[in-house]
Amino acid sequence: MAEKMTSPRIYDQPTYAADYVKTDAPSGVYLTDAHVDNLMQIVYSLGTEIWVDRQRNRIVESLLASKKQVTTEAIEQYIPTEEEKAAWQGEQDALVHRVYSVLARDTSGHRKFSKSRF
Amino acid sequence: MPTLDRRRLLGATAAAGSVFLSSMKAHAKFSGDVQLRGQIGRYERLPTRDLESLEDFRTSLRSFINTDFQRAANRRAVEIFREAGLDPREEVSMEEAISILEADPIIMNQTHAWITNQLAMWRDTQDYFHSQADLYLSEMAAADNAGPGSLELNPGMHIPEYTAWEIHNQPGGYVGDPFAGHMYHHGTNNLWIHLNEQDGMHQSIAESAPVPDDGRVKRCLDMGCAIGQSAMGLKERFPDAEVWGVDIGAPMVRYAHMRAADLGIDVNFAQRLAEDTKFPDDHFDIVTAFILFHEVTIEGAVDIIREAHRVLRPGGKFLAVDGSFLVKQPVKTAAHRWRTWWTDQWNSEVWYMPYDEYDFPKAFRAAGFNVGSTPGPMYSGGQEYIMGIKPT
Repeated sequence: MAEKMTSPRIYDQPTYAADYVKTDAPSGVYLTDAHVDNLMQIVYSLGTEIWVDRQRNRIVESLLASKKQVTTEAIEQYIPTEEEKAAWQGEQDALVHRVYSVLARDTSGHRKFSKSRF
Repeated sequence: MPTLDRRRLLGATAAAGSVFLSSMKAHAKFSGDVQLRGQIGRYERLPTRDLESLEDFRTSLRSFINTDFQRAANRRAVEIFREAGLDPREEVSMEEAISILEADPIIMNQTHAWITNQLAMWRDTQDYFHSQADLYLSEMAAADNAGPGSLELNPGMHIPEYTAWEIHNQPGGYVGDPFAGHMYHHGTNNLWIHLNEQDGMHQSIAESAPVPDDGRVKRCLDMGCAIGQSAMGLKERFPDAEVWGVDIGAPMVRYAHMRAADLGIDVNFAQRLAEDTKFPDDHFDIVTAFILFHEVTIEGAVDIIREAHRVLRPGGKFLAVDGSFLVKQPVKTAAHRWRTWWTDQWNSEVWYMPYDEYDFPKAFRAAGFNVGSTPGPMYSGGQEYIMGIKPT
């Protein structure tokens, strides 16, 4: 059941936050049990973390290619060109497809080998 | 969420917005404005490279979950019905639909992927802004009294419980987290797969707001204004009008005001209930409400429609935009039941089930409106429109 919550964090300044009603969604069990849910969550998180590193690599490569200084600040402030944005989007979509499309495959004709052999 | 058409969404409205903004530039920026990574157009970039990359990836993941993965789940649902000897076009009860579909691993895997992605999106944004709370609370405090426009906060006001749920699983909902506006802005950009970064969708809604027949537009109100995007769009369309946005979420209207001040757009925001706006009778020429009604109770919706009627002057017009507003499914198929339950249960749109059954045009008429037709906003999506005209 949803429960009433008080805004959890207290700061020195006024926050104007009020009490709220918490959602059930994070405590749901969606797959065979909560541990399998956790494992799948790790799978999605790892994909995301790979992309974060890859995007930093792409920015470093762009800075080096244009003979600019590679600093943390330069990476943070980097604004991609339209061509780079399109290329990154394609690379990102391709990564999602390569890693996760298996989840959407049609398994209706699949069977355990033990059943087919014996 | 609606499928948006990029050309119609951004192409048709960008020019008008940019002209307006360039004329307002001299007023832009308040003292204390924080922009760690600058602004692209009217979109303030996420404050760190890594957070932006996380959210970018989640947008691609969301697209996959909503397309290829969703289609796989739909195919599986049809197979399940076929195997059970059932016709997927026939009416079933909610309990039957859930029991048939929730045991399937592909359907539940797709559901879990969607929720996991959604929760992670909120969590990362919330964690960031709370980790820098002093900085961003100070920024909002600096903006509270800055202009153009004004901000009214009512910390002692009663907040009805029905408004305090974590809609869309947003942590703290619209009232319970000091950075609700920040999260909502970046979260909805993810939900709308970055197609609304320049507020084009809201501008198109403002552009389509029907004008009273006498052409007079002196005052406009956006009810349930969230972070003020429609209200700003109304001001951009009617620069000489006094424009107000009201929302129950104090952190939402604080962010709305801060952003409007930052963009130099003169809109007044107030923490008030849409069903109790405190404005005088016959005050506004145009009232709008965008995706508000599916997030309130039926009782709340009836009161909001009555309030819109009260504050509009005779001849004034009320544009309400929402999903599945007009078309009610005559046959509640398993797919429809499942989707409705899913929205309620897992996207925490906790008032969606009664909303899905309710006859809104009838409620508009009962409140005293004539219900007219409107061409609707220019963006193409899953939204529908009701235009209420207050009789003269």
